[in-house]
Amino acid sequence: MEKIIYAIIASNRSHAELSGLVKGIQGISGSDLYVLTFKDISVAVSDFTPSKYTISKELAIDFARVIEELSQQVILLPVRFGTFLKSDEIVNQLLISHYDSFLKNLQKVENKYEFGLKALWDYEKCSEKIRTKSASEVVKAGDYFSTSTIHTNYLLEKIKKHRMEDALLKHVEALVEEILRHLAEINPDCKFKKMVTNSIILDAVFLVKKNKKDEFIQAIEVFKQQHNDLQFLLTGPWPPYSFVDIVID
Amino acid sequence: MNENKILLNSVPIDEFEEVIETVENTVSSRINATPDNADHGLAQLVLTLIELIRKLVEKQAIRRVEGGSLSEDEIERLGETLMKLEMKMEELKEIFNLTDEDLNINLGPLGDLM
Repeated sequence: MEKIIYAIIASNRSHAELSGLVKGIQGISGSDLYVLTFKDISVAVSDFTPSKYTISKELAIDFARVIEELSQQVILLPVRFGTFLKSDEIVNQLLISHYDSFLKNLQKVENKYEFGLKALWDYEKCSEKIRTKSASEVVKAGDYFSTSTIHTNYLLEKIKKHRMEDALLKHVEALVEEILRHLAEINPDCKFKKMVTNSIILDAVFLVKKNKKDEFIQAIEVFKQQHNDLQFLLTGPWPPYSFVDIVID
Repeated sequence: MNENKILLNSVPIDEFEEVIETVENTVSSRINATPDNADHGLAQLVLTLIELIRKLVEKQAIRRVEGGSLSEDEIERLGETLMKLEMKMEELKEIFNLTDEDLNINLGPLGDLM
């Protein structure tokens, strides 16, 4: 039997008090959740028999449910789904050996929520708009070669495609800068992925102080109203999944 | 996605499905490797690396064409090579039943490969 790790927890509570608190939360597939403690940090684990469970989307969702319930009670660092260790002793060693980085990360996410923001556009419409805007940069075969063959035409199409991709990326980068300026007063930590698909131009995560939650949502609402050509999906608050910088060997 | 977590949504339903699909693809690309499909996983990894190199070669080639340092003959051969490379890649994807989306490995905190 192995141990599945859910989260690293910061707590001023005693070990007994924390144990009582997590007892009310079930681990994945109904397993018993418990904590192991070192100094002022703990780790939430439960028993896990790999042969008994098939790793699946449902199990991953159940795992996220445990982290969500825990996050409502304590400050935590979510651990990636599928992190197993052989025994309590090894889990304890992990706590001891990574104590400083766990503590540093816990301080970073203390009293903060994570929010996800996706921005989508109508690819065809927007790329046409950008294409028209940059009409002065239209690529012509004569710019590069005098003969027209199937191979040079292929190259020309590639050049056009790359130019278009560059233009779209510049557009999205300008949007990111605009969002950052718009949220400057709230000053969240943030991470961006650009052009995830042709439609999803932005997939961002923000780490926002809890007392700035409403202000943040309101700011995104205003931003949305200023950009009628885009669609937005704002989700949260989430445990700080995207803001934990720890590598465990 | 838990509906309570949606704070603001102006995404039309068909595009919302695409959003969900993207999330699900990320999850499945991380957890669907099993002893039964190891060979498929290996093909996916190898083809991903080939595709990455192919795209880098393509970018470099375009840069050189745009830079004006190639002769007409060199451009012709370059076009032919890139075209054949792309066609060969399409063949391989078909053989291993892979899509463009499959050839974009999620590198966790580093994001997507391509």
